Amino acid sequence: MYLKELELINFRLHKSSKINFSDKLNYIVGGNGQGKTTILEAVYFLCTTKNLLSSSESEIVNFNENFFEAKGKFKELTEDLSRVLYQKDINKKFFYLNEKQIFRSSSVIGKFPIVTLTQPDHSITQGAPADRRKFVDMVISQTSETYLKILIDYNKILKQRARLLIQIFETKNYSLLQQLDSWTETLVEAGSELISHRIAFISDFNDYLKNAYSKILENAETPYIEYHHPEGTTAEEIKKDFYLKLEELKGEELRRCSNLAGPHRDEFTFRINGLELKKYGSQGQHKTFQIALKFAQFFYMKEKLSRTPVFLLDDVFGELDSYRAEKISWFLREVGQAFITLTDFTRFEKLNVGSGNSLFTVKNGCVEYA
Amino acid sequence: MLIAEPLQTAIEELGKLPSIGRKTAQRLALHLVKSNPEVVENLVAALTALKENLKLCSVCYNISVEDTCDICKSVKRDRAIICVVEEASDIIAIEKTNEYNGLYHVLGGVLSPLSGTDADSLKIKELLQRLQGDTVKEIILALNPDTEGEATSLYLAKLLKPLSLKITRIARGLPIGGDLEFADEATIGRAVIGRITL
Ligand SMILES: [Zn+2]
Repeated sequence: MYLKELELINFRLHKSSKINFSDKLNYIVGGNGQGKTTILEAVYFLCTTKNLLSSSESEIVNFNENFFEAKGKFKELTEDLSRVLYQKDINKKFFYLNEKQIFRSSSVIGKFPIVTLTQPDHSITQGAPADRRKFVDMVISQTSETYLKILIDYNKILKQRARLLIQIFETKNYSLLQQLDSWTETLVEAGSELISHRIAFISDFNDYLKNAYSKILENAETPYIEYHHPEGTTAEEIKKDFYLKLEELKGEELRRCSNLAGPHRDEFTFRINGLELKKYGSQGQHKTFQIALKFAQFFYMKEKLSRTPVFLLDDVFGELDSYRAEKISWFLREVGQAFITLTDFTRFEKLNVGSGNSLFTVKNGCVEYA
Repeated sequence: MLIAEPLQTAIEELGKLPSIGRKTAQRLALHLVKSNPEVVENLVAALTALKENLKLCSVCYNISVEDTCDICKSVKRDRAIICVVEEASDIIAIEKTNEYNGLYHVLGGVLSPLSGTDADSLKIKELLQRLQGDTVKEIILALNPDTEGEATSLYLAKLLKPLSLKITRIARGLPIGGDLEFADEATIGRAVIGRITL
C-alpha cells in the first residue's frame, strides 16, 4: 500500500498544497518552521485519525481560517480515499473513508499501517521504563487486537483496584479485603495474558532488531531486548509467580494504596553486547538503537500484518554522521514507501536520491518538486 | 442567552435521562411546547403511573406491578435455579430467548470501587437469604463480561462456594450463527484464550 496523492487545505502553513508522491522514498527538504514536518503530520492523520505531535487540532488550522482539511489517495489493488476535516468553531473532527463518514477510529486502524520515527522517540532508549513499555505495547497492539483489548481491560482493573486499596486504607473496613481478592484475581488473569504475549513478542522481535542494527552498523555489536520474564515460562508459572509477588507485597500495597506488582511495572532492558544501553551507551549507540527499533518495527509489522506499512522519519539524519546516514539511506530502499524530512540535503552528498524516488522542497508552506 | 425559565427547567430535567444530550433535550422540550396539551397530559400520566404503579419485586428485585413479580409468582418456573443478573433489563434480554425457566435475582449493579459500588450496596445479602433452605440447587452468574462483571462473578463464586450449590456462569465467546471469519479479532482471540477441554 502507498499514498499516491495528498491534498492539504489550511493545514498549518499549507494554504493549499497538492502533492504526488513516489511509491518509494520521498525526501522532504526545508528549513525549520517551513512546513515539512506538517506533511508527515497530515499523512499520519490520514492513516490513523490521530495527531502525530501532541498539539491540539485547533493549532493546526491556518491562521485566520476556520477549518483544515487533508485528503489522501491510497493505492493498493484498489484506490482508497481518506479525508479528515476539522472545524474550529465546533472543535470537531470528521473522518471519511471513500467519502463515507467513519465514527470509530478502530475501523481505520490497521487499514493503513504506519511506523514513525520522530524527535520524542529518543525517550524509548533514554527515558524511563514506562517509555520502553509504551513502545512494546504499541508494537504488539498494532498487530494484535486481542492484546490491545486485554491491555485496556488491565488498565481499568488497575484503576479499580487502586481505588479499593484507598478505600480500605481510609475506612479500615476489612470486609472489603474479600472484594480485593476478586480484583486481584481479575488482575492476575488479564496481567498473565499480557506477560505471555510480551514473552512471545520479545523473543520474536529480537531477531528483527539484530538484523536492522547490522544494516546500520557493520560491526560486531549485537543489540537485544531483555525481558525479566524468561522465554519458556508457562502460563501456570506466570500466574503462580504473579500471585506470590502480590502475596509478598500485600501489606505494602495496603499501606501505599497502589498496585505494586504486574506487567505495568515490567522492565525491558536494552543491551548492546550484553552491556546496558541506558547506563553505558554512547549518543551514537542510542541513536542507532532508536533507528534500528523503528526499522525492526517496520519489518515486524510488515510480516505480521502481511501488508507494507508507510514509514515516516522526521529529521532523522540531523544528528547522524555521514557513515550512518548513508547506510540508512541504503537500508530505506528496502522498506517500501517512506517520507523523510531533512533540514539540509547538501550536507549528505552521499545520500543520493536514487531513481524512482522523489525530492521536494518546502518553503513557507509551498511545496516544490526538486 | 435568555431562555424562559420553565423551558430551561424542562431541558435540564430531560437532559438528566440516559443517552439524552443537551441538544436532544432541547429538541424534545421545544417539541413538547409546540404539542397539543393532551400529548403532554398523556405523557405526564404515563410517567406518573410508571412511578406509582411499578416497584421492585421484594424477592428478586425485578420491575413489578405487585409486591412479587410475575416470574417469582409463576408455578411453572423452576425454583431450583436462580440466574443472577446486573439489571432488570437483563431479565428482559434472557426472557426473550425462551431458553430459561428458572428464577432471577437482580443485583442492581456490579462491584466498582471507582463508582463507589461495593458488595454492601448490591443485593447480595438478599441473595444469600434466598439460598437458605435447600430449594435452590443451582446459581447461574449472568453478569456482563467486562472487568467489573468479571470481578463481581469471582466475588460471588467465592462467597457461594461453601453453600455446596452448583455454580455456573454463562459462556463468553463467539456469537452463535456468526461465522468465525466475520467475528472481530479480539472476540476470536479471547475465545481462543478461554477455550475449554472436551
Ligand atoms: Zn421477582
